[in-house]
Amino acid sequence: MFAEYAWLIPIFPLIAFVIVGFLGNKLFKKAEGGAPIAIIMAAISCVLSLLVAYETLTTGEVYKASLEWMVVDGFTFNMGIYIDNLTALMLIVVSFIATLVVIYSVGYMHSEGEKKRRYYAIISLFIGVMLGLVLASNYLQMFIFWELVGLCSYLLIGFWNTKPSAASAAKKAFLVTRIGDIMLMLGLIIFFVGFKGNLDFDYIFNNVDLFTGGDSLLTLGTFLIFGGAIGKSAQFPLHDWLPDAMEGPTTVSALIHAATMVKAGVYLVARSYPVLIETPDTLIIIAAVGGFTALFAATMALNNTNIKRVLAYSTISQLGYMFLALGASGYLFAVSGDPNVGYMAGMSHLMNHAFFKALLFLSAGAVIHAVHTEDMMRMGGLSKKLKITSAVMLLGCISIAGIPPFSGFWSKDEILATVFETGAYNTGFYLLYAFGIIAAFITAFYMFRLWFLTFSGKPRDQEIYDHAHEAPKVMWIPLVILAVLAVGSGLAGILLGMEGTIEPVAYLSTMHIASGIDMIVDMFQHPLTYVSIIVAVLGIAVAYLMYYSKTIDPARISESKVGKKLGNVLLARYGFTAGYDLFGIKVIYGISKAVDWFDRNIIDGVVKLISLICTLVGKLLRFVQNGLVQTYASIVVVGVSLVVILLLAFGGMF
Amino acid sequence: MDLNFDLENSYTAFYPMLVIILFAVVLPAIHRLVKSSKGLAGVSLVGILISAAIVVYNIMDGYPDPIVFNGTPMLTFDVFAAVFSLVFLSVSALVCLLAARYVEKDSHLAEFFSLTLLATAGMMIVASASDIIMMFVGLETTSIASYALVAFRKRDRLSTEAGVKYVIIGGFSTALALYGISLLYGLSGTTNFELMNEFFALNGSSSLALLGIGLMIAGFGFKIALVPFHMWAPDVYEGAPTPTSTLLAAGSKSMGFVLLFKMLLVALIALKADWEVVVGILAILTMTVGNLLALAQTSMKRMLAYSSIAQAGYVIIAIAVATQFAVESGIFHIITHAFMKAGAFIVVGALIYKVGMGEKITDYKGLAVRAPLVAFAMMIFMFALAGIPPLSGFWSKVYLFSGAVEASTVFDQGWLIWLAIVGILNSALSLYYYARVVKYMYVDKPASHDKIRVPTTMAVAIAVCLIATIVIGLWPDIVVDYCAQAASYFSQLPLGRPW
Repeated sequence: MFAEYAWLIPIFPLIAFVIVGFLGNKLFKKAEGGAPIAIIMAAISCVLSLLVAYETLTTGEVYKASLEWMVVDGFTFNMGIYIDNLTALMLIVVSFIATLVVIYSVGYMHSEGEKKRRYYAIISLFIGVMLGLVLASNYLQMFIFWELVGLCSYLLIGFWNTKPSAASAAKKAFLVTRIGDIMLMLGLIIFFVGFKGNLDFDYIFNNVDLFTGGDSLLTLGTFLIFGGAIGKSAQFPLHDWLPDAMEGPTTVSALIHAATMVKAGVYLVARSYPVLIETPDTLIIIAAVGGFTALFAATMALNNTNIKRVLAYSTISQLGYMFLALGASGYLFAVSGDPNVGYMAGMSHLMNHAFFKALLFLSAGAVIHAVHTEDMMRMGGLSKKLKITSAVMLLGCISIAGIPPFSGFWSKDEILATVFETGAYNTGFYLLYAFGIIAAFITAFYMFRLWFLTFSGKPRDQEIYDHAHEAPKVMWIPLVILAVLAVGSGLAGILLGMEGTIEPVAYLSTMHIASGIDMIVDMFQHPLTYVSIIVAVLGIAVAYLMYYSKTIDPARISESKVGKKLGNVLLARYGFTAGYDLFGIKVIYGISKAVDWFDRNIIDGVVKLISLICTLVGKLLRFVQNGLVQTYASIVVVGVSLVVILLLAFGGMF
Repeated sequence: MDLNFDLENSYTAFYPMLVIILFAVVLPAIHRLVKSSKGLAGVSLVGILISAAIVVYNIMDGYPDPIVFNGTPMLTFDVFAAVFSLVFLSVSALVCLLAARYVEKDSHLAEFFSLTLLATAGMMIVASASDIIMMFVGLETTSIASYALVAFRKRDRLSTEAGVKYVIIGGFSTALALYGISLLYGLSGTTNFELMNEFFALNGSSSLALLGIGLMIAGFGFKIALVPFHMWAPDVYEGAPTPTSTLLAAGSKSMGFVLLFKMLLVALIALKADWEVVVGILAILTMTVGNLLALAQTSMKRMLAYSSIAQAGYVIIAIAVATQFAVESGIFHIITHAFMKAGAFIVVGALIYKVGMGEKITDYKGLAVRAPLVAFAMMIFMFALAGIPPLSGFWSKVYLFSGAVEASTVFDQGWLIWLAIVGILNSALSLYYYARVVKYMYVDKPASHDKIRVPTTMAVAIAVCLIATIVIGLWPDIVVDYCAQAASYFSQLPLGRPW
């Protein structure tokens, strides 16, 4: 009933984009550069999204509708809507968080002046295209929105376009994700060929066995599709753009990290699940990349002092968990044939992460708003001034650290359990489980390090401390809403039976649906659950000892020889940034220069030679043209003789 | 000879030429009343328009019976003649528009317009002739009129010199052509195109016939400035008053094509195997030499002259390919070339008239600042001549080259593809000197910043060429249909149509 109107969901933010983008400064000079329109449109699409999602999740029916878009050489391209439980989940997450972020922006972006029109216009477009991506009914349509999402993130990361670091961060985000986009495009071409030109989800998911071209081609195809997700979701080795993307406004970071850009990659893999389970090799790669990234990114957050960068690394790390879940779950299903909770765990982690990461970013935004710096070394003791912010951020930290019954715990624990279970079929997964557990410890540590450094102890910069003030209502109300969700979304999800609802089409609803209570009881009978809890508590404890009670002096570690070196490696992001620059500047620019030289000297040289010859011949011929009519007449005579001779020759008269 | 004048004959077929000739004869008398060159141009235009109206009436309402003499048709005003008559009349009208102000300070104004009209009438006679003698009469009418027109400014040394050269080389060429024709007549015993072809189809080739063909090609090749019979063209175009150059480049040259079409593709089509390769070689030679020489020019009119030579090379491809489609393409290119080349010459003329500059290519530096609209028109003409889409010159070249490619595959004459290849390479080459003019106009700084205002009559002439060049470029079909009808005149040729 509501699903029929689902196509309107992305339309409303797009309307806001058009109105604000083209008329913003004229109509809304006194109204925050068009913020009211952006909020109203986002809210309408949020309400509609919730209705559609509720309908889909309760009835469990897949809604499909499409129009013929174009027919090229006998291939039909459709434009349509595809709503299943995964779409429903994404709709809730994207539209809800986006709405809160736009509301929050009214406070955060208040002092931006005329630039606000651009901000609200692009952010509306961003929301619209992300919702369009989620609702798309085929890969081609999805790809179009995928690219638009990339464009919007480019525009927003570089929002402060006069700042060179922001401009280069935007470029980096665009170029690095482009590598993934190219892989995705190649993957789609393989799908296009293999599935005979039909890219509709509905067709592909029900006819995976009709793929022509063999298993290895399908594996390559799914791998390339995952390549797109690597770029978009900032997974190793294309992770380096996301920390730099912190140059954008914090609201944009919140949106990118919680609801839009990076979630698109996870969504793509989750969406392609019915195909992926046919290619276990790709699933191993997905799990390995995810598991490795979860640990790898977490380490870089250990000693960073920029509040937003720490959160950025944590996002990369948490996304790694999601890929690990999807890879392990798919692999487990592929080898065992039994449905498992991994997929649901991955997707509910996506949802839980969306809530607590939005909360964390917006809280960090409130802090930055209060102290006008992102450097934690100049903060400290802020909990006295920012009571609400510090409280809600603490809830967010507990949630991401994985302490029960906060939301992060449930999904993370289920992910790790699935990975461990998969270890029975492929021992490599035990290693990934170890990665996950270590990452969980590190996560708990650095999140509390962040909280302690920011809010506890004595102010390290008295001047900043004196000027600090709590955020306005329009900012802290969304924080409180998000805090409630960050605390409760995990448990609520389990109690409401998400396990049975959020499952891929491929399972064909064969999964046994345990009641929420049973599931919780199951979890707490499992010894591994306690391992997860213990590492989380340990992480928090270490952070407490180092940064709150100061029992262990962090300087002793960071000042030691090994600690210093290690710290520098982490701050240098394992040399990836330099590596990219080296590759970009030395290799690519070198090649360009070589090509340029070839073009200038060899190709242009040949062209110049030809033109020189032409001009020379022209000048020679001109010499004959001496203006004397006698010469002309002689040439006519010679000419006519030659013509006659030629005629006779070709006429065979000799 | 048994002369048998058929008084029952209807002379309707001659009316379009008759009107022009009447106006040409009456003009000196009118000059008594109308002193100004503007007025005379106006009267000439009236004559041209009446003639054009008759032509259009014929196209709409069916063509008159041929004029028969001694049992064989002499003059047939069919669709081929009608299409070409319209081309000649358009060129003539453009020349009158340009001359209306260009020659205003000269004496013998009546003679100028009278001769222009006579030349036009001669061209139309050539287009409708069914007989070599008739055709020759038309050719000479045009030739003699244009000799005088070239030397029109008798106190101008360049003009006189050009006139003398044109007469000498022209007379020489006419003699060659006449000798060739007499050989062909002597062999076949007829001057009718169809009958001559029947004879050669029956009796085959002979060395004497080939000698005749060679001489005829040389003689008529002079008119279209076929290499190596082109030497006169740059000197004459440069020396002649610009309206006359326009008439020669756009009108007289088109007539030359008609001559060759009729002789080779109707009267001598039976001997095609003997002459096709030679014509192909001449086409390649003509376009290449024309373009190479154009590269090295510093005078605008000489550059346009060489460009005309090169364009003739493209059209001659149609004769070598010899399918109806190729001829259709050739006619199409003649039409598009008439407008773009006339347009370019009129721009040159307008600038010479108005500010006494425009002879040198460097005079065009910064023209876009001084006369934006004229510069824009010139740019369009240059790009059309270079064959840049979507202008008219692009389509006619595409047609020509695709005709050659098609013939090379369908009719199994592989060598024809070289005509297309050399043609395309030449187009690329030619872009250099056309684009150079555009660069001068738009990139370089002008010597002065005074605005140039072109007289209305010239502006109208430029606008007509501009509109024709752009409109034919956007909707080629409106002209191509008539070209196809005209090409059906060559009923002996295979149809040929690459799409």
